[in-house]
Amino acid sequence: MPIYLDHNAGAPLRAEAAAAISRLLADGRGNPSSVHRSGQRSRRMLEAARSQVASVIGAEARQMVFTSGGTESNNLAIFGAITAASRRRKIISSEIEHSSILAPLAELWRRGFEVVRVAPDSDGRIDPARVLAALNNDTVIVTLGLANSEVGTIQDLAPLASGCGAADALFHVDAAQAVGRVPVDVAALGCDLMTLSGHKLGAPAGVGALYVRDVARIAPIVLGGPHESGMRAGTPNLLGAVAFGAATEAAMNAMREESDRIGLLAMSLLNRLRETIPGLRLNGPPIGRLPNTLNLTFPGVLGESMLIALDLEGVEVSMGSACAAGAVEPSHVLRAMGRSVADARSSLRISLGWTNTADEIDAVAATIPAVWRRVADAEPLSEVSAR
Amino acid sequence: MKPRVLVAMSGGVDSSVAAALLREDGYNVVGVAMRLAPEPSAPVATAPVAKRRGTCCSHDDFEDARRVAERMDFPFYVIDLRADFAARVVDNFVSEYLGGRTPNPCVMCNREIKFDRLWSRARALNADYVATGHYARIEQGADARFHLLRAADDSKDQSYFLFTLGQHELSRTIFPLGAMTKTEVRARARALGLATADKPESQEICFVPDGDYASFVERRSDLAQLRPGSIIDGEGKRLADHAGVHRFTVGQRRGLGIASGERLYVREIRAESGEVVAGPREELDSSGLIANRVSLVDESIASGGELSVEVKIRYRHRAIPATMRVDSARRAEIRFAADGPAVTPGQACVFYRGEEVLGGGFIERTITAGRAT
Repeated sequence: MPIYLDHNAGAPLRAEAAAAISRLLADGRGNPSSVHRSGQRSRRMLEAARSQVASVIGAEARQMVFTSGGTESNNLAIFGAITAASRRRKIISSEIEHSSILAPLAELWRRGFEVVRVAPDSDGRIDPARVLAALNNDTVIVTLGLANSEVGTIQDLAPLASGCGAADALFHVDAAQAVGRVPVDVAALGCDLMTLSGHKLGAPAGVGALYVRDVARIAPIVLGGPHESGMRAGTPNLLGAVAFGAATEAAMNAMREESDRIGLLAMSLLNRLRETIPGLRLNGPPIGRLPNTLNLTFPGVLGESMLIALDLEGVEVSMGSACAAGAVEPSHVLRAMGRSVADARSSLRISLGWTNTADEIDAVAATIPAVWRRVADAEPLSEVSAR
Repeated sequence: MKPRVLVAMSGGVDSSVAAALLREDGYNVVGVAMRLAPEPSAPVATAPVAKRRGTCCSHDDFEDARRVAERMDFPFYVIDLRADFAARVVDNFVSEYLGGRTPNPCVMCNREIKFDRLWSRARALNADYVATGHYARIEQGADARFHLLRAADDSKDQSYFLFTLGQHELSRTIFPLGAMTKTEVRARARALGLATADKPESQEICFVPDGDYASFVERRSDLAQLRPGSIIDGEGKRLADHAGVHRFTVGQRRGLGIASGERLYVREIRAESGEVVAGPREELDSSGLIANRVSLVDESIASGGELSVEVKIRYRHRAIPATMRVDSARRAEIRFAADGPAVTPGQACVFYRGEEVLGGGFIERTITAGRAT
């Protein structure tokens, strides 16, 4: 079995989610919107799942809209806000967001909206003051990630709530990487909208949710039947929802123990790699980060070579984001943090999760330096390759 | 544990079968598709379908290679060598055309990418060998020296493109198709159920899919780098004007834009002055050539002074008898046994002895028939 260290890309299915899916597969029927008793039973399961998901962020069940995943939730937040607030023309975000935020922003810029993308500092932190400085009465929405998927930086977003409220702008938080890993509370953050993703915390991919504090403030982007309080048409994905609910509950119950244990494993791995790889650099802040995420610049090698070499040794990590053909591009997050293209090409993301054991981390702490030495020796980073 | 082999896969039938045969032989195969061409870096899905088809390095080709890897159950990766390819193959292609020569980028790609850059990657990935779908053979003699030989299928032989390989490279390279005919390769692909079995041959240079080299060179050059000028005859009389020497190749007949009673061919390109010399067919005859950057498959043969060889001065030409002598600056003087055809500077000149490739170089200039140099 390979050692899986790519939990930020997608976590393995939790046993609780698999069990919920199996139960439904064995004995499931009925559209939750139907009047008959099979339909009513499906509806009860859907609403129970909604409550499970809501409770992890301190929300009410009626404020949760199930979607097809984090990408749809981000699209619903942004385009839903634009559609509902017909006259406002400004959107504020940052340079280090997920593509499911950056691509909608690029599209809105093409349509003539004013798009402000705040730059991070060298650790990937967004200064709330810079966001507030851009905020005005023409702002539709402020949309920012709570925990960065590539470097793990956790943002200090709570100071934005009152400013957004005063400007009557919607405050959207993409919490896809944070929920289930660190405590997240919509009331403490004071946000209007929050994105959750199923497969980051142990549900299958294909299900997510958007917390909507007040449904009057956004318009649906998928039109059809009156499902999901009119916010998202289409027969609900009951299979995904029950798995999402079960996975969320399991993640929440285990969070304290898991995040301590995973954080210690990650620190132990980092310390051992620092001892064996001279010049290794941790990207992101030393504190105020996801405990599971290590984004590392390996001196003198192409991350692409390290990634493939590690895969052939049974260690699964990631780098930037894959293009359509499967090749990897240097991370836009590291570039925005001021890293050179060469450094971005030399960086890998190692993201741990609840499946990882101390034995696995011991094995990886030996494999990575050996692979790094071999790659650095065989294929030293040239000026050309790092372009 | 069987050795690990890094197989360069283009998504075509040849490299697919090469990988599949090695897998069947029990090698620890790792397939890689190289992202080389600069163009499809833009979102592939939005490129016009016509532009994506029929060239290597396209998304569809990578998916074909991936399907072969899944079918034969070995790992497969796409690797990004665009920067290296641009710097070491494409820039050279452009500067050669601007210098009035006619480059062969496939030779350059083999030398700089497949058997240099890719080999570094192979060692980084702990591979013992690199394999490709080239039609050529490698044999090890009783004296442990490696020999590069023509393919069994003469119509597919690609040994011409591989002359830069030395003992070091050959010792770690496998050409699984060298003893097979194209028909056999396709039959094998069908028998193995490979999706690529009936894919058409790719013909053009992969990074110029429309075959319009002149426009490609112009797109990648500054206006000041182009060398427009006149087409002149052997006596220096101006026949016409032209937009740049990169639009011509020695031996070319079409596209000169001259209405003349006799058929005129490009005899010489003088990049500095922008002059393109045209003349009748018989003025193209050559008695030999000078090649530079000469490499030999087995360097020990160079010590013997003059060698009798057969030389191939273009991929599709027949090898002709000649003598050669290599100097210490890696330049070779080749004398044809009888007057030879038009010699095109920039092309590869490859030395054979029967089935065997002895080495080769890049053509610097022709030695004109009937004139001493």
